[in-house]
Amino acid sequence: MSDVGGHQPTPGGAATPDEAREARARFEALVGEHLDGLYRVALRLSRNPTVAEDLVQEAMLRAWRSFHTFREGTNIRAWLYRILMNAHVDRYRKAARTPEVLEEEIGDEYLYAGARDGDALSQAGNPEVEVLDRIMDQEVRESLDALPLPFRAAVMLVDVEGFSYKEAAEILGVPIGTVMSRLSRARHALKRRLAAFARDRHFVQGEPA
Amino acid sequence: MNCNEAVEKLWQYLDRELEGDKVVEIELHLQECRGCFSKAEFERHLRSLLRRSCGCDQAPPELRARLTRLLRMF
Repeated sequence: MSDVGGHQPTPGGAATPDEAREARARFEALVGEHLDGLYRVALRLSRNPTVAEDLVQEAMLRAWRSFHTFREGTNIRAWLYRILMNAHVDRYRKAARTPEVLEEEIGDEYLYAGARDGDALSQAGNPEVEVLDRIMDQEVRESLDALPLPFRAAVMLVDVEGFSYKEAAEILGVPIGTVMSRLSRARHALKRRLAAFARDRHFVQGEPA
Repeated sequence: MNCNEAVEKLWQYLDRELEGDKVVEIELHLQECRGCFSKAEFERHLRSLLRRSCGCDQAPPELRARLTRLLRMF
């Protein structure tokens, strides 16, 4: 189909109705496969379920509009996440300009050291790990949500969604070294915040240095 | 490999981003060093905690249905 005569160009860039159907089927399968992961990332980027739904919807419509530009052999999962990330950045340009500084520079390995020195050590097994096991899911989400966007995004992509550094770099549009440094700082910040939760509930003895 | 280098490379190792000979070196070190081994265990657990807490949400069925409907309109 051509757009001569006032027709819309065929989405997915297909030349015939058959091709259009086929492209749509492929795209729908793709979205079906990755929707949960995309929603999870959108949820942590936006920290709001309604906004997360809007964001995924916006990103998937964008992806469908440019599906015809997608070249076979490219990493399609990373491509979808990049579109999601761009949609989020466009939406919250101001938030995306948040300076890449964590408010609290992190006392090295704080939670680890605190757990090791605490009374948990007297228990059997691997005490440091047991402290982690008692931290609640909600506390982890709060700790992650408290990080500035660039750090939150790096943790979601690499730790939760399992992307490689290279893929995360492509999705975020930054060099690999930047992904690594964001991850490192984010993980330290997370540990510090989780340590505060643990300390508040008397899991870990001792005051911060 | 000494402890300093092992700690420095630990996350790259856990993220499967370390190249072959360094993987062997750090694994040897982790076998020999109880401190670094515990540290690695701790970091692994931290990640599984993250996955458990932030990796289990599913897209709402309404979103799935709405997307299917919208995509068919375009």
